[in-house]
Amino acid sequence: MSTGDVLQIKNLGHSYGKFKVIEDISLSIGKGEMSALIGPNGAGKTTFYNAISGKFPPTRGKVFLNGNDITGLPSYRVVDKGMCRSFQITNIFNDLSVIENVFSPLIIQQNKHFKLYGNIFNDQQINEKAMQTLEQVGLTDRADQVVANLAYGDKRLVEMAIVLAREPSVVLLDEPTAGMNPEETENMINLIKKLAKNSGTTFFITEHDMKVVFSLAEKIYVLHQGHLLACGNPQEIRANEQVQEAYLGRKVHA
Amino acid sequence: MDFLLLNILNGLSWGMLLFLIAVGLTTVFGVLGVLNFAHGSLFMLGAYLCMQVMQYFDSFWLGLLLGPLCAVIIGVLVEKYLLKRVYNRDVSFQLLLTFAILLILDDGVRMIWGSGYHVVDPPELLAGIMTIAGQDYPVYRLFLIVIGPVIGGILWSFFHFTKWGKIIRAASFDNIMAEGVGINVPLIYTLVFALGTWLAALGGALAAPQQSLVPSMGEKIIIESFIVVVIGGMGSFPGAFVGALLLGLLGSFGTMFAGQLQMAIPYLLLAAVLLIKPNGLFKKGV
Amino acid sequence: MIVLKIKYHTLILTGILVTLLFLSPLVIPVYWVILLSEILIMGLMAVSFNLLLGYAGLLSFGQGAFFGLGAYTAALMLQAGYENLFLIFLAGILVAMLAALIVGFFSVRLDEIFFAMITLAFGMMFFSIAHNWRDVTGGSDGLPVFNLPNLQLFGLDLTFYSPISMYYLIFTTVLIALFLLWLVVHSPFGLILKATRENKQRVSFVGGNVRKLRIVAFTISGAFTGLAGVLFCLFNNMATPEFMHWSFSTKPIIMAIIGGTGSFFGPLFGAGIFFVLEQIIIRYTENWMFFLGIILVPVVLFFPQGVFGTLQNRFFKQRSK
Repeated sequence: MSTGDVLQIKNLGHSYGKFKVIEDISLSIGKGEMSALIGPNGAGKTTFYNAISGKFPPTRGKVFLNGNDITGLPSYRVVDKGMCRSFQITNIFNDLSVIENVFSPLIIQQNKHFKLYGNIFNDQQINEKAMQTLEQVGLTDRADQVVANLAYGDKRLVEMAIVLAREPSVVLLDEPTAGMNPEETENMINLIKKLAKNSGTTFFITEHDMKVVFSLAEKIYVLHQGHLLACGNPQEIRANEQVQEAYLGRKVHA
Repeated sequence: MDFLLLNILNGLSWGMLLFLIAVGLTTVFGVLGVLNFAHGSLFMLGAYLCMQVMQYFDSFWLGLLLGPLCAVIIGVLVEKYLLKRVYNRDVSFQLLLTFAILLILDDGVRMIWGSGYHVVDPPELLAGIMTIAGQDYPVYRLFLIVIGPVIGGILWSFFHFTKWGKIIRAASFDNIMAEGVGINVPLIYTLVFALGTWLAALGGALAAPQQSLVPSMGEKIIIESFIVVVIGGMGSFPGAFVGALLLGLLGSFGTMFAGQLQMAIPYLLLAAVLLIKPNGLFKKGV
Repeated sequence: MIVLKIKYHTLILTGILVTLLFLSPLVIPVYWVILLSEILIMGLMAVSFNLLLGYAGLLSFGQGAFFGLGAYTAALMLQAGYENLFLIFLAGILVAMLAALIVGFFSVRLDEIFFAMITLAFGMMFFSIAHNWRDVTGGSDGLPVFNLPNLQLFGLDLTFYSPISMYYLIFTTVLIALFLLWLVVHSPFGLILKATRENKQRVSFVGGNVRKLRIVAFTISGAFTGLAGVLFCLFNNMATPEFMHWSFSTKPIIMAIIGGTGSFFGPLFGAGIFFVLEQIIIRYTENWMFFLGIILVPVVLFFPQGVFGTLQNRFFKQRSK
């Protein structure tokens, strides 16, 4: 556990009644690292994400973000502390325009969400910031469009922009390429690579698509039946027999 | 002691009536997902139709049989041509549509039968007064206390032991799944709404000899039924039973304990349940 | 740019409308001036209500309570002999606002039908109190108001016994209130509120405290509804428990949906349509409610954006598809 760790998770566990969905997960992620959490369906990835991002408090264990204990904080407080996430199913503001979607996190960040007067389009600081964020994901030309009318891939980009707008120190991405066609997937991989390189943001992603995982992650954690089965760099994970068994075992049965 | 008994009987007879209304409302909500504002108006319509049939045939029992069936025809038309279009819409549109139906039915009845009071006599068989533990009590109310559980029992058996009952229960849990296994969901919706209408109208017909008929008689009972349904758990059959009895007894005992503020008690109860246990005391399901 | 064009149109239309409303008492008969007063008051209530339904996605079934609280506060103060109209306005707003804060605090954690039911419950609690607390509220008879105080303003001494002067009091107050609400709707707060309507989980996952946002919206809505209640009490010389009944709370819902919940002025137009239709229909029949129902059905089924919203979309907005 070095001082450079931005996200530390200690003995995290969550159960529904007697059923333990995840158990005793400990890991620490260094600043600027690109790591991935993988595991077969039902391994507990989404529960793990929900428990650390404040959707619900974990039943056991601790979560530290930049050295602060954020265990069990509600989601909006977790975001304030510097961790923002995306969802498996696109989670954006459908009836607002692209730029309004990006305004939202910025308004909240600058504590202007209880400001009862003034037009946000006249707020230069927020406008500049929003356009910068849209530039990062390549949506500047669609800023005025209503999100509901966008193509699926662009909607995913909007969510990316929402997540990035507040410049969180840790970004959790829950299957960022889910439902995308090969071209969109390729673009998303390149985008994430570019963002990680330019901003030094720490990314922690879960992903189904192994191609995506191996082309992105420097470090991979494997979750199996609620436990952390293995962790290591892509080569190590590829060579790990237990991991192969976990995945292949599934496949044979399926 | 007599006073206590009297209050219990009054509470039970009102509670049983409320149960018939609420169980229809809760079943319709459970399956269709729409909280039907016009449900009370169907209750009112049942009472008026029962009265009308009685005037033709001079028989309460025929009124009780045919009145609610006439209401069912209207219910089916409402579901097929109006409600069907708002199942996927926002809750405000659903409520407003059923509220519009309430306005049409209430004022429609006013146009046909006038806004004055109407009285329906109980059938001869049930007209008298009985002495229970030294207390005089109308036989008709005792009949209501008995008929409530009887109809409830029949309904429960229907849901549990017949094919259609089981299908409706399946649809109330997951209508996509139901569609997947080849159940005709639109037909189920129409049938369930017809059943709900029938229960409301039957409640109205049963209530007719006990209270005077006015076009606005549905408005009181719809709010009480809302309270019953929310307290019991939206879509819950046993919840409707327990909630209705609770509210019926509260109504008769409330005056004793809360005096002036008796009127507010059901609403306090409603708010308390929503805050502490928003899904009601019983989980969804028949 | 499209954005500018919309603003330009809205500005001109609003200007024309305000001028028309200002000049109308000079032209139209007194009867219609009285009707117009009522439209403005109920329009204010509907616009305040729509801050919840249209912008926050919350269907309140208890707005009547705040309207009634405003009205009762005014009636009680007038009966007690308070002469300062500003003070009466202020007190009415504050009482309604405080009640809305408390009701909102408990209610906003719920959504959809549950929110509708809990606001109905709270509204009816207030109704029960107003109905039964005879000593203070006059019970079901309500509280009559006999004397309307004068207003000293800019050296003028204004009385409000004539329908025309009453109209101008209402017109001015509603205009100011609508302007303030317009600011709120177009503020950063307004945008985030819309965001909670679209996706409250997302708001919470970009750092917004949804519950607090909703409480603020509910309180603002309650405050302006209370102001409408004060106005109605002065206009009607009466505060009655009926204001707090759930059936009264359906009025702003009907008006908002007829006019259109998606635009700021929609509910105001809805109020206008509501009252004008009522006036036309009651000339021919007593059964206005029947025809209201008949009118509501197609509005709900075929005009989800309301009459005003549909017109606005057809002529000004190419924004959404």
